[in-house]
Amino acid sequence: MDNVNETDTSDLALEITDLTVAYDNKPVLWDIDLNVPKGILLAIAGPNGAGKTTLIKAVQGLVSSAAGRVLVYGETYEKNRKLIGYVPQRGSVDWDFPTSVIDVVKMGSYGSLGWIKRPGTKEHNHARDCLEKVGMLEYEKRQISELSGGQQQRVFLARALIQDASVYLMDEPFQGVDATTEKAIISILKELRSRGKTVIAVHHDLQTIKEYFDWVTLLNVRLIDSGPVDRVFTTENLNKTYGGKINFIRDITPGQAVGS
Amino acid sequence: MSPHEIEIQIIAILVASSCALPGTFLLLRKMAMMTDAISHSILLGIVVAFFLIKDIASPLLILGAALSGVLTVFLVELLNKKRFVSKDASIGLVFPLLFSIGIILIGLFAWNIHLDIHAVLLGELAFAPFDRVYISGTDIGPKSMYVMGSILLLNIIFISLFYKELKITTFDKNLAAAFRFFPNMLNIALMTIVSITCVGAFDSVGSILVIALMIVPPCCAFMLTKSLSKMLFLSVLIGSVSSVAGFWVANLLNANIAGSMAVVSGVIFGVIFLMAPNNGLIAIKIKKIKQKWEFAENLLLVHLINHEGSAEYEDESKIEHLYKHMLWTPDFASRVISTSKKKGNIEIVDKCLYLTDEGRSIATASF
Repeated sequence: MDNVNETDTSDLALEITDLTVAYDNKPVLWDIDLNVPKGILLAIAGPNGAGKTTLIKAVQGLVSSAAGRVLVYGETYEKNRKLIGYVPQRGSVDWDFPTSVIDVVKMGSYGSLGWIKRPGTKEHNHARDCLEKVGMLEYEKRQISELSGGQQQRVFLARALIQDASVYLMDEPFQGVDATTEKAIISILKELRSRGKTVIAVHHDLQTIKEYFDWVTLLNVRLIDSGPVDRVFTTENLNKTYGGKINFIRDITPGQAVGS
Repeated sequence: MSPHEIEIQIIAILVASSCALPGTFLLLRKMAMMTDAISHSILLGIVVAFFLIKDIASPLLILGAALSGVLTVFLVELLNKKRFVSKDASIGLVFPLLFSIGIILIGLFAWNIHLDIHAVLLGELAFAPFDRVYISGTDIGPKSMYVMGSILLLNIIFISLFYKELKITTFDKNLAAAFRFFPNMLNIALMTIVSITCVGAFDSVGSILVIALMIVPPCCAFMLTKSLSKMLFLSVLIGSVSSVAGFWVANLLNANIAGSMAVVSGVIFGVIFLMAPNNGLIAIKIKKIKQKWEFAENLLLVHLINHEGSAEYEDESKIEHLYKHMLWTPDFASRVISTSKKKGNIEIVDKCLYLTDEGRSIATASF
């Protein structure tokens, strides 16, 4: 776990020190030290119950931590809140809620609007631009209940884009989407990276980590390892993370990065 | 219409509108049954506040009620969070306890005052015009009208001020929390509004039927629109219509007004449930039947294009063979054929079916 030395701290998008989160005194995240440099695509992987969602939430103070500190661009979350764009799990909201696609995207602007002030023409136009980026502009007036899973995910992505953040935290952005949407989403993420943004995504599909991401954080309550995919994504590390229960990775020698 | 009758209807509309506004958010937050819990347990708050203040007309009673409403929500969520019991069971555990303590206290100490149990359960809108407000001797109307008017105004101000915040905390609690809109605090504020509304409605419709006014109109509106602002508007409209209609039904049958209001709103829901243009039972049934026929017509075109140009085409496309090949009954098959012909998708030559150009392009598109 020597990733601290891999980067200069002034170049860090996210700096997590000694973060511990417990539910009823049972730790779900145990003493996490994690530094995320700016301008990378980082995958967080680990088995069910590893604390991936909890980590994303703890960074934003959505769950209270028992110990530890999180810095966003060198400041606390409260101070640099507007630098964070958040995409919660698609399944965490009720898609029967009476609202339209464009309205959901506009919700992304609520954070910068603050209390009471309502979104106006500027936010409306911005929301349309973001919908266009994710290829959903023709659906702007649709009821959200009529969307497919992939379309829902694109709308969520557009809602994060409107936040115009520097660091994007995404909870399973590829969950339940078809191959076309997956390709569309990843090209948007790469475009974000090319503009110097940092994307941190919970990702389940180990097969595509090498292809999609630059860095990977392997998590199972404790941090197993974190760093560039080439160094970290090894059979040894995956066995440590998943307890040797994955069998799809074949034909690689121990210590060598998976897929290389 | 006598002045009293007009006043009763105005009060009924005020009550229904005040209830429909926060009710819309309760429904969307999947907290409909919380209304029932709050509307019952506020009784305890009213009784305790009455014992402390000894004045049945004091506005501080509303404060007591609001506190016990929030206490109810807190207790329900506490039980639920600790995973002892599910949410519906925790509602079932909390409010009967608080409500019965209230009932026992009334029975023990206050049996001779206005707070009698019958009025608590059902309310009595018919008596509302008798309690009047006088300003230097001049009668300016029934007290409930002013109380409910103020509550409605409070609800309108609260919801229009925090519309955006209520919307995002209801739809996506996580993002709302990340934006620091404090979902829990807003929830407490909303529950306070619900409690205050319940206290007002309590006098008119009693604790049992408040839920009908809070939940039924928003349920109707939800079937009719998929926009939050329209849903709020329609809820108020439907609530008002059912309260006025309920008043006249009660008049006709010489029945309890609150009961009639609840029945009418239930009937309105039933009608909407059947007839709503997009989600209604009938609309869905019609859509399904239409889909069935369209699917069969497509199937026929695809069957024909599959065999087009092959040696056995004549055999496959003979009308009498169609029954066998498609496993359709003769009636069903001839109806599919005649509609397809009418639409110009097929032609019949010597009892054989042939695709027209249009039919062929539809069949190709179906792949």
